[in-house]
Amino acid sequence: MELIKNDDSTWTLSKVSELEHLMLSRLPESADSTGCEEATDRLFPSPISPDAILDYEKTSSADSDWKEYIEPELRVNFRDSLKIVADDLGKARVTKDEEVNCYEFNIPTAHADHWCSALNQARIVIHYRYNLPDEDGVLDMDPNPEKWMATLQSEIYGMLMEFLIKKVLWVA
Amino acid sequence: MLIEGSNVEIETSPVAEAEVLDQVTQPWQVMILNDPVNLMSFVTLILRRIFGYSEEKATELMLKVHYEGSAIVWTGEREKAELYVQQLQTHQLYAVMEPVD
Repeated sequence: MELIKNDDSTWTLSKVSELEHLMLSRLPESADSTGCEEATDRLFPSPISPDAILDYEKTSSADSDWKEYIEPELRVNFRDSLKIVADDLGKARVTKDEEVNCYEFNIPTAHADHWCSALNQARIVIHYRYNLPDEDGVLDMDPNPEKWMATLQSEIYGMLMEFLIKKVLWVA
Repeated sequence: MLIEGSNVEIETSPVAEAEVLDQVTQPWQVMILNDPVNLMSFVTLILRRIFGYSEEKATELMLKVHYEGSAIVWTGEREKAELYVQQLQTHQLYAVMEPVD
């Protein structure tokens, strides 16, 4: 997988292997936190620090205001990013790299933030849904195929995020 | 208490007035809590972008979050703190706020 700059303010993600393409095609559904309360709580946390010295009434009022006014906006933002990414993914083309089938597709520079949002949403949901260990604990992880696959998926998303951050967003 | 710009006078107790004044003037701090998912480069990028911090300062704050579990990234009035928390949460950073002791 490599990210190449074009002349028309787009980028092409090329040499995407079958496995990477499969993982990327799962991105929109993987970012859905439905049924995983921990992931939902992490994506939409209370604005008040758990260590804040505030009485219950004030914390509760701030929480409910946040849920009523801010959380819906966050949900719309997250959903919009997923839709943009799904559209970009839908335009993937099949190509060849040294006789091996692979994929490529364009990412407009203006979509880079949406890509990072979608990839990050998915990484958060995957982490909590599969109860993945922290970075240092991966090697000690149970030999559970589902968890290994989830880890691989999250790593691929992380790698693409790093490409986008360093090549596209850091300089923008 | 006389409402500014009008002749209306509202009777309030000194205690209630002091509490309202406290709420308005008390500074709040915006914090980022560590989480096991967000990439270090992403946290640094978002801190640079939202607060306009230099790469050096953003990296320093990111490392504080990573190694110490949290970092105060901004302090000021509550309304602005809420706006910053919302912006940080829009990027899925684990951002919260609290009144300064």
